[in-house]
Amino acid sequence: MIERTVYRTIDRIGDPALRRAAESLARLVLENWFYALVVLVLWQFPAIVADLSGSEVTPRRPTGESAFWQSEMARALVLACLAMSYNLLFGYNGIISFGHALFFGAGGYITFILLARVDQSYQQEALIAVLAVVLALAILTRITARRLVTLALGGVLLVLLLVPNTPGMTFYQAAALAVLGSIGLSLISGVVTLRLRGIYFTMFTLALAEMFFVLAKSGTFRNVTGAEDGLGFGDLLPAALNPTPTGDGSRLQMYRVTIVFFVIVFLAIRRYLNSPVGRVIVAIRENEERARTIGYNTFFYKLLTMIFAGVIATLSGVLFVIWATDKRVHPEMLSLKFTVDPLLHTLIGGVGTLTGPVVAALGLILGETYLRNETFTLETEVLGLVPLWQFAVGLIAALLILFLRRTLRPAIHRLAGDGGRWSVLGAYLALWIVVSAAGLVAGGQVVPDLDLQDEVFDVSDLWDLFLGIVFVIVVMLLPHGIVGTWNRFWITRRIRRMERALQREKAP
Amino acid sequence: MQTYWTNLTPQHRRSWLLVVVYVALLLAISWLDFGYNTAGQTVFRGILLGMLVFLVASGLSLIFGLLDVLNFAQGAFLLIGAYVGYDIYHSLDASVEVRFLAAIGGGVLLVAAIGAVMEAGLIRPLYERPIFQIVLTFGLAAIFLDFVERIYGRNPKQPLSPPPLLNEKFTLFQQSLSVYRLFIIGLGLAMMIGVYILLNRTRIGIIIRAGVQDPEMVQALGINVRRVFTLVFILGSALAALGGIALVPYQGATLEMGNQFLILAIVVVVIGGMGSYEGTAVASIVVGLTRAVAEQLSLEHFDAPVLAETSILLLMIAVLLVQPSGLFGRGE
Amino acid sequence: MSEQMHLLEGRGLTKEFGGLVAVSGVDIRVRQGDLHSIIGPNGAGKTTLFNLLTGNLPPTRGQVLFKGQDITGEPLYRRVHLGIGRSFQITNIFPNLTVLENVRLAAQAMGGDSAKFWWHFRRFKQYEVAALDAIAQVGLGDKVGIPARILPHGDQRKLELAILLASDAELLLLDEPTAGMATEQVPVLIETIQRIQQATHKTIMLVEHNMNVVMNISDRITVMHQGEVLAEGTPQEITRNETVQKAYLGELYGDFAEMMGGEAP
Ligand SMILES: Nc1ncnc2c1ncn2[C@@H]1O[C@H](COP(=O)(O)OP(=O)(O)OP(=O)(O)O)[C@@H](O)[C@H]1O
Ligand SMILES: [Mg+2]
Repeated sequence: MIERTVYRTIDRIGDPALRRAAESLARLVLENWFYALVVLVLWQFPAIVADLSGSEVTPRRPTGESAFWQSEMARALVLACLAMSYNLLFGYNGIISFGHALFFGAGGYITFILLARVDQSYQQEALIAVLAVVLALAILTRITARRLVTLALGGVLLVLLLVPNTPGMTFYQAAALAVLGSIGLSLISGVVTLRLRGIYFTMFTLALAEMFFVLAKSGTFRNVTGAEDGLGFGDLLPAALNPTPTGDGSRLQMYRVTIVFFVIVFLAIRRYLNSPVGRVIVAIRENEERARTIGYNTFFYKLLTMIFAGVIATLSGVLFVIWATDKRVHPEMLSLKFTVDPLLHTLIGGVGTLTGPVVAALGLILGETYLRNETFTLETEVLGLVPLWQFAVGLIAALLILFLRRTLRPAIHRLAGDGGRWSVLGAYLALWIVVSAAGLVAGGQVVPDLDLQDEVFDVSDLWDLFLGIVFVIVVMLLPHGIVGTWNRFWITRRIRRMERALQREKAP
Repeated sequence: MQTYWTNLTPQHRRSWLLVVVYVALLLAISWLDFGYNTAGQTVFRGILLGMLVFLVASGLSLIFGLLDVLNFAQGAFLLIGAYVGYDIYHSLDASVEVRFLAAIGGGVLLVAAIGAVMEAGLIRPLYERPIFQIVLTFGLAAIFLDFVERIYGRNPKQPLSPPPLLNEKFTLFQQSLSVYRLFIIGLGLAMMIGVYILLNRTRIGIIIRAGVQDPEMVQALGINVRRVFTLVFILGSALAALGGIALVPYQGATLEMGNQFLILAIVVVVIGGMGSYEGTAVASIVVGLTRAVAEQLSLEHFDAPVLAETSILLLMIAVLLVQPSGLFGRGE
Repeated sequence: MSEQMHLLEGRGLTKEFGGLVAVSGVDIRVRQGDLHSIIGPNGAGKTTLFNLLTGNLPPTRGQVLFKGQDITGEPLYRRVHLGIGRSFQITNIFPNLTVLENVRLAAQAMGGDSAKFWWHFRRFKQYEVAALDAIAQVGLGDKVGIPARILPHGDQRKLELAILLASDAELLLLDEPTAGMATEQVPVLIETIQRIQQATHKTIMLVEHNMNVVMNISDRITVMHQGEVLAEGTPQEITRNETVQKAYLGELYGDFAEMMGGEAP
């Protein structure tokens, strides 16, 4: 509404240069005001929590709510970045990888193995390796001399920047090398896996990630990876990035660094999707054979996307370790959990939507933290009327009928005769009563003493179950996820209008 | 036999050769490295493991072949079968034989019922959205696991004693073993042959195989494919439950065993080629042997079980590099 | 005849699906600038032959030459850049993308900017201009913003053609561009194709069932039957050809009748 008015007003500007400037400004504001608002809220989030809870933003001991929620929010933002990178692969390019955790874990492991285990300089070796590669390329391929020189110079420069000639290396060098490693990993695994089809690809990536998980856990390499205990990095982190001290504002600063990281990742992904490459990968998702037939080397674009998503996952992994409470890199980072979580966030938030994974990741992770820290009193009666377990039986019966309605439909219609909508409803109601009654009788037999007293209990115990149920409900009833459904609501209306217009055109 | 061979595609012929060479290699390595008796014990363990995996994997493979659903809840079905069977065994007041049979029957029936409801209520509405089916089974597996944990607790259950007849000892390769292990192998073989006959010699089997090839065509012939889908899903779930119960007298019941066997089964199905029944059978044995030999090798030569833990995954990676659609899968 | 250059050449092309030989030892030469039609009954192997020429399928045996160069090993996407474009018999588009985006992607593929993931795609206006041009040529100018999936079938066929035009290939392989179109729309599309050929001197290979159309607009015709080439020549030669007549008027009378009458609507 507002948009259209603004653009219409701009269209009336006479001077073309002025009009173009106004248009890009308007586009910038209209497309980004909401995101800017969200970032502003995130930025002020520590202060908001502090105000609400009466705690300090940069407390000395004991730390309060604000400091606690700073690290929780930071962790959630990092995992939101991971989810966005997964969505880039899954939602936009149609690549279903079950090995995404490999890149997440690679970030943590490569960085901190380099930091903790490298105690001499490898600069000479690295330089020799670069020269060897260049030489091999010169001999084995027909690469042009100009490219070769560029490559050699680039390689030498990288080595000089990333591999110091003093023992050990800095955190930034290690993280940069982790990114390089991640790119290499994508290249190798991509070349091998991308020729596999469908489920074989998925299972191959799963096996690959599991392999590294097992290796990281294994005692055989304890002196490199630390096996199950992981790798401690305690004092290896530069002071500027260490979120543990709260009193001097370190945590707040690192929290803000994390927001900046998140914003950069978001913008980078958005730009990637709006670039020529982004348009191609969506086309590949839609119809890969067609994309090849109009001249795209789809393998290249899929590989590029894998590298891009992998790098984001790697950087998220580094940040995740920084925010870890026990300051250790754990084998768990390579486990299926960090593939399934982003997958869930993507599905629940909305496959192939820009903001969906973020909404779901923040909602679920922060929600979990919140609930785990609370205890609730479970009243054994709902509204003081129905005993809770009876209510639950009724609810389950209703859900059962809802899920089974396609199967039940013929039976229901036979039952209802042809009395129209109300008798169908009546038949469903009757069925519900019968099923509930059966459940109540059975339940009364098995658990006669269920409704005794109010119980105080911990939600943390129920979280996984809750998540599973939310998940099934979303998959069944909200197939496009939260944001996806919201978007669709608007898009469908537009498309309906177009369809009607097309039909009108056909009619006369 | 000869017609079987000549009817194979060149790719599948190559797969057979690979399998034979690989198994021969495994046997040779174990004989040379472990000596006659230990090698024999290892191979026996491998076959046993292969048969157990087969019970879970054959269900997975059947379901995938026809419904195109990779059922991640298969591991949970095994778990439910094991725990419910255990429960029934201990809560009945009858002779061991009756309790044992009741445990098998009860567990299998319950899981079959769960499978039926799950297919009809949850999976069926999602046939147009295949990815969601996979993810749904994933979520359901988590819920089932949670329920089992809530009802039966975290502690592992002790192995229960099978009927005396199956509990006797026999000696093989100088190792005293319970007859129950032979029973498991027998059960696996019986299922292998039983399902083979079902698929190849009965009307419903022909419909299933035709449905694997081309569901629309079968539907067009006036057969209710959906009902066949449900049936296959029930059959697949029941096989997993059977595997679960068969495991309890052998190694007890733990919450982890569902996922352990699920991963093994997925590896088996992928190696064998999705939807190929003979592939699943062959791959089960190969995977079982590989795992057993790798375990023995780790035990004798390394101080850590890395090789044992990664052997199966390495095998799968190697097979997919050689045959991108599994050993006996339908190539493109 | 031979002073005209052969743009595309197939030598001994064979494709087997399991036991079925869909295309068997086909030799075909397409001269630069011709409109070369392929005709034959259903299942004759016309589409499969196209798939072999464009690289959608690898041949079991045989070679494909383009401008005298062997391109048999070239992957599908590279052949487009060499100048071989195609449209599909069964509509094959990006269903959830808009008409403009469908065509713009084809134009973008031909430029060198597709890998620039750091720029916004709006920066490369030239592809949008080329796409709009191609869309206008097929007469979809007023539907650029509509998702391809909700277009009526006839318009989807036009979109298929627009995608091909945006590729700006020298050689266009059109696989039954009018398949499934309403009869009154067929002449419009054929006219478009003819107009394009006259304006741009592109070489066109056309599969078409409507014999009137084929006889009128073709420079050369290849008749296929059960995977083999039955005859090749000018429209006059084909109508006079005895093998064709015998084959069609004899045992295959039905097929020929169908071909003469065009496809049932
Ligand atoms: N992918 C495939 N797998 C197996 N058989 C195929 C495949 N594609 C085509 N065929 C078979 O090859 C033969 C030739 O098919 P093709 O589509 O090339 O014929 P066509 O001349 O294009 O027919 P139509 O006029 O119906 O389009 C047919 O018998 C068809 O069934
Ligand atoms: Mg055809």
